[in-house]
Amino acid sequence: MNRRTAGLAIAGSLLSALALSAAPAAAEGTEKCYGISLAGQNDCASAGGNSCAGTSKIDYDKAAWKLVPAGSCATTMVTLPDGSTRAGSLEPIGS
Amino acid sequence: MTSPDSLNSEAGFARALWDARLPRPAGVIGRAGRPAADRFDIHRNNIFASLTAALRARFPVVVRLVGEAFFADMAAIFIRRHPPVSPVIMEYGGAFAAFLKEFDAVGALPYLADIARLEWLRHLAAHGADAVPADLSPLARLAPSAMAELRFTLHPTATALSSAYPVASIWRANAVAPDLQPVLADSAGESVLIVRPHRQVLLLDLPPAGDVLIAALQEGRTLGDAAALAAARDLDFDLTLTLAALFRGGAITGFAPGHSSSN
Repeated sequence: MNRRTAGLAIAGSLLSALALSAAPAAAEGTEKCYGISLAGQNDCASAGGNSCAGTSKIDYDKAAWKLVPAGSCATTMVTLPDGSTRAGSLEPIGS
Repeated sequence: MTSPDSLNSEAGFARALWDARLPRPAGVIGRAGRPAADRFDIHRNNIFASLTAALRARFPVVVRLVGEAFFADMAAIFIRRHPPVSPVIMEYGGAFAAFLKEFDAVGALPYLADIARLEWLRHLAAHGADAVPADLSPLARLAPSAMAELRFTLHPTATALSSAYPVASIWRANAVAPDLQPVLADSAGESVLIVRPHRQVLLLDLPPAGDVLIAALQEGRTLGDAAALAAARDLDFDLTLTLAALFRGGAITGFAPGHSSSN
């Protein structure tokens, strides 16, 4: 392989790698858990309501999520203002 | 006050902390001037308990592989042989992987030392410097002939680990997977990229010799030279997968076109 074909192979790899990397890697061992974060302590976006990390306005917002260790979301219990308890959810919680 | 006497007694105090067979240092007194041997013992116990807790937190998969009780006994031996050299507990445990490699009692788990290396590198990445991953979209607009001349700046927390054992599979099976999948300890070795682009430490699989490419890029070599080194290590070196791991992991914080020799 001469220098030019080697260079083209590298260019091909670089472009393929860029295409493969459209979605950034997520941390392993975590899952998005909805409905358990305190106001201002959510990790990122939810459907409407707020735009990103730390911007949820109410405690235990059903649409705001927090990253938690994988497998622990469904067993994370929170106590709501009305005294009832609710587990976290892997999907936004419907009203 | 650093008279020779107080230095001696400080050294004696420290020695007695590490060796329970030594007499407790003189002059350790409690309320009303009574000797306070119990208090000294409590202090000694606290030192071992806190260092053991630090090791347990830093090497959770090692704990899981050998069991809590075994780990506690092993940690006590390690702590005596390798007392902290820094007052910062965050820096404690760097010698653990090398210790495991020589520790006969874990000889049946030859991969254990590499698991400890992986966990230590994750710990370093967690506490390493922050840096913002670069926007890579301009790369696609470079002339193909310029790409081999690129030099990358890697994220300060980026490290590659290569092991003769399937370290990433073993680590994931024990740290992440909620349903345990068996891993064959004698399956092929693995290489991984460890990096913390944002708040979470990432672990990305690398193809064989991917670690060679990353080390060469970290030395400031061009992409073309680094790829040649990796291909010299492994004929089937997969540049695409290695770059994809670096890009997906946010492990590139900058790039420079380099001085092309072709024009």
